[in-house]
Amino acid sequence: MAVPGVRPKISHPGRARMALIGFVVVAAWLGMGYRLFEIQVVRADELAEKGLSQRLVTREMAPQRGKIYDRKGNLLAMTVESQSIFAVPDQVTEPLWVAQQIGGLLGVDPDTLHERLRSDLDFVYIKRQVEGVLAEEVLGQEMKGIFAHPEPSRVYPAGSVAAHVTGFVNIDGDGQEGLELVYDSELRGRPGYAEYERDVAGRVIPQGYTNIVPAIPGMDLVTTIDLPLQYQAQESCLDAVDRTGAESCWAVVLEVETGEILAMVGAPVFDPDTRQTLDASCDGAEDPNACRMFTNFVIRGIYEPGSTQKMITFAAALEEGQVNVGTLIPDVDDELEVLEGACDSSDDEQWGCYEDFDAHEKTDMTVAEIFTRSSNVGTIKVAEKLGQPKLIEYIEKFGFGEQTGVDYTVEAPGMLRFDPGCQTCMASAAIGYSVAVTPLQMAAAYAAIGNDGVWTTPHIVRSQVDGQGETEVAGVETRQVVSSSTSLLMRELLARVVEEGTGHGGAVEGYRVGGKTGTANKLSEDGKTYTDETRASFVGLAPINDPKVVVAVVVDAPDHEYRTGGLSAAPVFSEIMEQALHRLGVSPDGEQR
Amino acid sequence: MTVQPVGRPASSEGLRVVKGKRLRRPSLAPWVIMVIIAVAAFLGLGFARISLDRSAFELAELNKAIDEQAALNEQLRLEVARLENPARIAPLADEMGLVIPGETNPLLVNLDVPSPVVAEVERDGANQ
Repeated sequence: MAVPGVRPKISHPGRARMALIGFVVVAAWLGMGYRLFEIQVVRADELAEKGLSQRLVTREMAPQRGKIYDRKGNLLAMTVESQSIFAVPDQVTEPLWVAQQIGGLLGVDPDTLHERLRSDLDFVYIKRQVEGVLAEEVLGQEMKGIFAHPEPSRVYPAGSVAAHVTGFVNIDGDGQEGLELVYDSELRGRPGYAEYERDVAGRVIPQGYTNIVPAIPGMDLVTTIDLPLQYQAQESCLDAVDRTGAESCWAVVLEVETGEILAMVGAPVFDPDTRQTLDASCDGAEDPNACRMFTNFVIRGIYEPGSTQKMITFAAALEEGQVNVGTLIPDVDDELEVLEGACDSSDDEQWGCYEDFDAHEKTDMTVAEIFTRSSNVGTIKVAEKLGQPKLIEYIEKFGFGEQTGVDYTVEAPGMLRFDPGCQTCMASAAIGYSVAVTPLQMAAAYAAIGNDGVWTTPHIVRSQVDGQGETEVAGVETRQVVSSSTSLLMRELLARVVEEGTGHGGAVEGYRVGGKTGTANKLSEDGKTYTDETRASFVGLAPINDPKVVVAVVVDAPDHEYRTGGLSAAPVFSEIMEQALHRLGVSPDGEQR
Repeated sequence: MTVQPVGRPASSEGLRVVKGKRLRRPSLAPWVIMVIIAVAAFLGLGFARISLDRSAFELAELNKAIDEQAALNEQLRLEVARLENPARIAPLADEMGLVIPGETNPLLVNLDVPSPVVAEVERDGANQ
């Protein structure tokens, strides 16, 4: 019974039980509280850092390699996303079957693939940079252990047409040749990186820690090349190789006033999309011909120019006032002996005998006639009036013996051979021997004649474009090599070569064209004698009254019946020049042939 | 008269006398309101967080879609460039009998020479 004012007592066993439960609950709460305190306060930083390290991913963001365009915005090179197929050998359950299935699809040797799939490696590539559709077909077969990851792939939409201009990259996207190498750092861009938190499924955790430094894409290059003209020039060269049986044909088209290279081609050609496994260097190549395809002869190949060199000899003589176009050179024979007894010697290694291509009687010739008829003897007589020091001076002024400075890889400087005490060097150099030049050097020299005597650095890239705007390429060098009056006289002489002389094969319908043929025998391997093989060339410009374009063509080792520049190189020049003039919209200025 | 403390009433079921201000039970309304506000704030915060997260997921999906479209766009540009390759077009044009512009002949017209008479037309009153 309850007593007022007195709190009833709980029975003893229940009270103890309650106390125990209460103790346990409190202890549990205290324990949890302590654990919370430990996690949230004592070890907070350590655990947060550990958690972040498990969630945090750092991924490099590859920059987009810059594109290469022609002068009108046609794509020459670009990068697209492709898939690289790889395998984890441990996970491949039927390597033989997989090798046969995939090998056929991807064009990989099944035996080689089978070996790779049976290896102890953690990861093996099956094929890199496969087009998306093909990759989907492979992955669609859902074979265990076969995966793909995205990888940028460099492609060349114009194929072999612009190969000698763009060059190519290797499998990792590093420039190896051509513009891809010269402008590799500009095209490459700068990689960025992204740090972010992701969940166990790999998804980005929103509101989590992110730190993104965006990649800076590479600069785009706008070249001076005209793609349709490049194609036409290449076709002309390919036809020439086919028609004349030549080993190769090379051509370059320059815009006279600016030095811009409108086309630069060679035949045989190569496809930059499929050459990735080949080394650009020809050393140790099994097939030298195949290797040689990568060598851009226009910029890198040197040859003795033969009669095309005479333009410089005559320009120098006119500039120095030693002769004028009407000056009569007496007793021009078809044979000249610079070293006594040279012409009578049966020793092929005996130098010093110079002959005209066409036999003729000894006669007086004007300077204009000598040039038009391409008389070697007459030219040497003109050079003798000039003298060796002046001849060398003008050869160098026209850019021979040094690089032009074109923005391309490994440019050859050419060669001038004037050994001390050499008695035949001047005569040889006057007619295009003892001098070795590149087609580009020769084209640039003729461009100077077309540009009122002003030599301009040839170049391939017009501008670089970054993400914000356009940047002009550094200015080109120009220099006056001969006066405008001398240039005018030389242009008229060159026009006569086409209209009356050996260069009629280079005529272009509707335009007055000036040019010079060249036929130079090739040196033997030991360099001591000349072989019957020739390097035939034609260099010219048009329209002669106000030249806009220079074209230089070299045909290497044509068959004997096409051995001269007039027969093998001049028709190529004519085709290319006609296309170039039409592409530039140059109005016809002359009588049709 | 001495005020005597009120004696403890009979202890009956834990009742006790309440005096003065404590006569009224304290109002629970403010507490309820505060709790409601707190709960609402908590739920609102959660909802906002969820919305933000959802937006972030959507943004990530959109960015991924943009990247995919950009890659597709580049593929299409490549396709266009390949289709426009003169090496592809020229043989097709040749098959169709088309000529490259360079193959046309320029016609030079001499303005000093009077035009040749092509035909004479008789005119009479009826034909005017």
